[in-house]
Amino acid sequence: MSGAVWLSYSLQDLVMFGPEVFLRLFVRINQALWPWLLLWPAAALLLPWLGRQNSEWPRRLAMALAGLAWIGCGYLFLVRYYGPINWPATGFGWVFVVQGLFLLMLKGKALPAPLAWPTVVAWWLVVLVLPWFAVLQAGEMRALALFGVAPGITVAASVLLFAGQPAPLRWLLLLLPLAWSLFSAATYWALGTFWLLAYPGAALVLSVLALRTNPRPARIPDLRSARPGRGHRSSGSPPG
Amino acid sequence: MLELSRRRFLIGAGLGGLAMASPRLFAADTASGPEAFLTRPIPSTGEPVPAIGMGTWITFNVGADQYLIDQRTRVLEAFLERNGTVIDCSPMYGSSADVIGAGLDRLGAHDRIFAATKIWTSDGSETREQAATSERRWGIDRFDLLQVHNLLAWQEHLATLREMKSEGRVRYVGITTSHGRRHRELARIMETEPLDFVQLTYNVLDREAEERLLPLARERGIAVIVNRPFQGGSLFRRFQSEPLPPWAGEAGVGNWAEFFLKFILSHPAVTCAIPATTRVEHMQENMGAMYGRLPDTGQRRMMAEYVRKL
Ligand SMILES: NC(=O)c1ccc[n+]([C@@H]2O[C@H](COP(=O)([O-])OP(=O)(O)OC[C@H]3O[C@@H](n4cnc5c(N)ncnc54)[C@H](OP(=O)(O)O)[C@@H]3O)[C@@H](O)[C@H]2O)c1
Repeated sequence: MSGAVWLSYSLQDLVMFGPEVFLRLFVRINQALWPWLLLWPAAALLLPWLGRQNSEWPRRLAMALAGLAWIGCGYLFLVRYYGPINWPATGFGWVFVVQGLFLLMLKGKALPAPLAWPTVVAWWLVVLVLPWFAVLQAGEMRALALFGVAPGITVAASVLLFAGQPAPLRWLLLLLPLAWSLFSAATYWALGTFWLLAYPGAALVLSVLALRTNPRPARIPDLRSARPGRGHRSSGSPPG
Repeated sequence: MLELSRRRFLIGAGLGGLAMASPRLFAADTASGPEAFLTRPIPSTGEPVPAIGMGTWITFNVGADQYLIDQRTRVLEAFLERNGTVIDCSPMYGSSADVIGAGLDRLGAHDRIFAATKIWTSDGSETREQAATSERRWGIDRFDLLQVHNLLAWQEHLATLREMKSEGRVRYVGITTSHGRRHRELARIMETEPLDFVQLTYNVLDREAEERLLPLARERGIAVIVNRPFQGGSLFRRFQSEPLPPWAGEAGVGNWAEFFLKFILSHPAVTCAIPATTRVEHMQENMGAMYGRLPDTGQRRMMAEYVRKL
């Protein structure tokens, strides 16, 4: 098909499923995981607390949890549930799995310093508030979008971890969240599921905020104490 | 696959011929015998098909969601109960083919349908393979109609489809477009290639096909399947809150679904319209357009004018 023909399609023409089918994905996957589902919010709340610790292994565990969350929602939500009704979701799903494995391989390296309080609080807000937007859209509690299960919230929370990393790792890690946010925003717009725009919206806003407030390790007081020898750097020094 | 349904067609067949001669149909005799419904002959063979079929884009793509598969099976059931047979799908429609297959299995209805799907691949050598995959997904031995989707690699696919037809692997071949795209190219294909069917977009607002394609189809003896009869649902969103015109009853129209569908069916070149729906009550409304009288030429003009003014 020529480029001109593709351009004559509207966004709505390219979405091959209806909102009801999409919103039921959340319900179905929550039902399938019940009662183990309760472990997910617990892990999501624990993760930034681990990430705030001074010793390295809890921070490694935090990264491992984030990696598992990406693998989980990539494989379960995107490949197994979403893929059959929307092919690009399968592709995204496998890339989510790869990103998750990458996070596991990074071990402690991707969290070189304890998380700052603002990041921790922002994380908790994300994992406590964002799940309800899917409920608002679907009109039923069972559609709760949980971290590590649903991609939107997993991405929105994770950008807080990724944006604080030194370049170029930070950009590498933020690539997929950005691509997913644009893709899902276009999908939700076409479906008319406007409450769900909160997920890509939050991911994009949090990325910008985190990049602006959190880029240089030397600015974070906790980090100074965690990295002896670097605390005397001026706040204007480039990130390590 | 059509042996059983042919018997059911007998009632409609005579009326189908009548409909071609005159756009008006008699109201159904509801008290005694079975209701007469509108059929149209496929020009290349004269075989009658019910004038309302079922589309499956978006509506039947529900994945492995058992609750929704059951619900769509009820939509399919309502379609078959009201004498529908033509079901249109494409490999492009995600899980729709599997959902149709599951519904047909549940209803034991494989032999009651006119199965139509498309070949949708830019690889011109994959025609047979894709048809076989679709047959497996629907749970049928062969399709009644295979269409080249959106003119994609049409030379190669049409050549293979014609071979398949001569081997008895498919009964009819066709080609599709939609949204008014590539009409000039489609016209050239209709002029030069032997086709049983074309599928195109035609509705009370999108009427470009009236200029060249519909007359050409009549001239060349090609059956016409009309897609997007409700403009993907936007006709309802735009007009449903408005009242029907006071003369609607005279044109055989009792609701907006019938308004839109009877406008299409009253064009003499149209064989079948294939609205899609997720809801049983909408299916029932849509199938209602196969019954009762059709608007005449003057009423068609008034219908187009009425929505234009709204
Ligand atoms: N290139 C191609 O080959 C091509 C392109 C486009 C389409 N097609 C075929 O043509 C079929 C029909 O086109 P389409 O699905 O795009 O659009 P359509 O049939 O014009 O419209 C479908 C929409 O109309 C709504 N609807 C149906 N009956 C209704 C009723 N009685 N009252 C209110 N709303 C009603 C449905 O919503 P509800 O679910 O709520 O009823 C659905 O959203 C497709 O499914 C496909 O099989 C082929």
